[in-house]
Amino acid sequence: MRLLLRDLPIRRKLVVILMIATGGALLLAGILLLTLDFFRFRAEMKTDLGVLAAIVAQNSSAPISFQDRIVAEETLAALRAKPSILGAALYDAQGMPFVEWIRPGEAPDFPARPGTDGATFRDGRLVLFEPVIVVGERVGTVYLESSLSEVWERLRVRAFTVTGVFLIAALAALALSSALQVLISRPVMSLADTAKAVSERNDYSLRAEKQSADELGRLVDAFNQMLSQIEERDTALLAAKEELEHRVEDRTHELREANAELQQSNRDLDDFAYIASHDLKEPLRGIHNYSMFLLEDYGDKLDEDGKAKLETLMRLTRRMEVLIDSLLEFSRLGRVDLAMDEVDLNEILSETLENLDINLKEEKVEVAVPRPLPTVRSDRVRVGEIFHNLIVNGVKYNDKPHKRIEVGYLDGEEPRVFYVRDNGIGIPEKHHEAIFRIFKRLHSRDKFGGGTGAGLTIVKKIVERHNGRIWVESEPGEGTTFYFTLGKGDRLAEQHTEPTDPAG
Amino acid sequence: MALLRLLAILFLVPASAVAQASEYDLKAAFLFNFVKFVEWPPQAFSSDRAPVTLCVFGQDPFGHTLENVIQGERVGERSLAVRRPGLEELDGCHVLFVSRSETERFGAVLSKIGSKPVLTVADTDGFLQAGGAINFVLEGNKVRFLINPKAAERNGLRISSRLLRLAMIPVT
Repeated sequence: MRLLLRDLPIRRKLVVILMIATGGALLLAGILLLTLDFFRFRAEMKTDLGVLAAIVAQNSSAPISFQDRIVAEETLAALRAKPSILGAALYDAQGMPFVEWIRPGEAPDFPARPGTDGATFRDGRLVLFEPVIVVGERVGTVYLESSLSEVWERLRVRAFTVTGVFLIAALAALALSSALQVLISRPVMSLADTAKAVSERNDYSLRAEKQSADELGRLVDAFNQMLSQIEERDTALLAAKEELEHRVEDRTHELREANAELQQSNRDLDDFAYIASHDLKEPLRGIHNYSMFLLEDYGDKLDEDGKAKLETLMRLTRRMEVLIDSLLEFSRLGRVDLAMDEVDLNEILSETLENLDINLKEEKVEVAVPRPLPTVRSDRVRVGEIFHNLIVNGVKYNDKPHKRIEVGYLDGEEPRVFYVRDNGIGIPEKHHEAIFRIFKRLHSRDKFGGGTGAGLTIVKKIVERHNGRIWVESEPGEGTTFYFTLGKGDRLAEQHTEPTDPAG
Repeated sequence: MALLRLLAILFLVPASAVAQASEYDLKAAFLFNFVKFVEWPPQAFSSDRAPVTLCVFGQDPFGHTLENVIQGERVGERSLAVRRPGLEELDGCHVLFVSRSETERFGAVLSKIGSKPVLTVADTDGFLQAGGAINFVLEGNKVRFLINPKAAERNGLRISSRLLRLAMIPVT
């Protein structure tokens, strides 16, 4: 039943509850009353009949004494006046039946001998034995048998009355409870409406009206308090947000300025580097040329040692030029944006191998690619440089008769780990860090084809610009594997392809 | 109790005498019962313990029946006694049964009684007219009686209405 009532509106629920309680109480009262009445009516009937029996007994004393059956019957027959009496009998002093009277249409059950004096309820009937006494001596017994129809009839009438009265009472209860339920329902509904309005309109300045000083009143107070708190926090939040926005604006402004400065500085550096390299290289070329002239024009005047010295001079200038170019390249790498694109690494690899074709054939290098390389978002040109430098190194630092380079990628790694493996001379572990340092060569300049020592540095720079990592696994004599990634995972470094113009 | 005795008597008495015996057995029982329905004034008794005296005047038709009927019985506190007095010994009777044999002397007896508290009973026609209180009659084979309440009144007796109901009241 609670389930049915649970979702009724408060107003109706209150009335229903009150009516159920009232109705239940009235019903219980009615049942109790009628039960009490039943016993009362029965007792009254018993008294009534007792009186009648006594009267009949009195009037029977003479007829019994003088054996006057006619008068005795008359006496009993007088009981017909009481409709509930089904029959009566007189017994003499020996307990033998004397006379009987039976109401027409009824079938009373006269005992053969009188029982104990008094009234009993038996089989839905009332039976009475009353002694007939004359001057203190018992001369016979009166037997009365009565139905309880009177009791039921009275009870029926009473039930109607009680029902009627209680119906009226219930109606009154209904009226009262309908009128009084507002005491609870109105404040509740008012609060509910306010809450709804607040949530619908997001208006935290609304407040609920306190209508009573009971628990509902306290609920209203708490509710209003919460709203105030929310309002405060809202304003605080708003203020904080504005503050933050200001700060972000300021910071952005600062950053923009810094960026613009950096851009400018980059351009300046670029210019400077370009000019400087030109300016630096010019005298170098001069030195180289004049050395060459000396060799050509005055070569016959020089001895072998002198020629050798001039050749050394020329070689050194060439080396310097390369060094300057490497330095320039390295510098630019740090500042120039990558041109990101979906790059098919197989294409890049085959381009690189084409470029190195002559070298690879000369050195009899086998290049193995176990499986096709994926397409990766990266800078096409720079990735080419990675492959170029790593492969070149793999070929250079290799003393095996049968040189082998393998290019591939590892399974299951995220981001993709690529590798370039050679069967060269290997690198001792203590140098695994140092090899990436600029201009750092582990071997003297005339061994393993020379070189500036900038190759790996440049590769590392490119990998790092791609937000990747590069590391090496190698043992002396066991070959070398360079591993590198071109990003942090699903997404590689995304850079603007155009530098933002600070002027807007 | 009295009826029990009557039954006993009925079995013991010979057939020819039965009819007569039962009539007077009943009348004896009735005489005893009359006592229960009649009130004597206090001065009718010499003391609280004095018995109720039933007297038979004239030829006794009851035999031993009357004694048998009253033996051991009490009416209220009082026991009962039976006498057969002569005309001059009528004092102390409470109930006086005047036998049929004394029909001629009804008047004398009754005037001798006068207004003393005596219940006068007979079973002869004309007794009530003579001034008696109760007269037995036979109706079929039933013993009935007639009562003249005024006569009893004259004797200072009060007859219960219950008894009067049973009686056939003569028109006086």
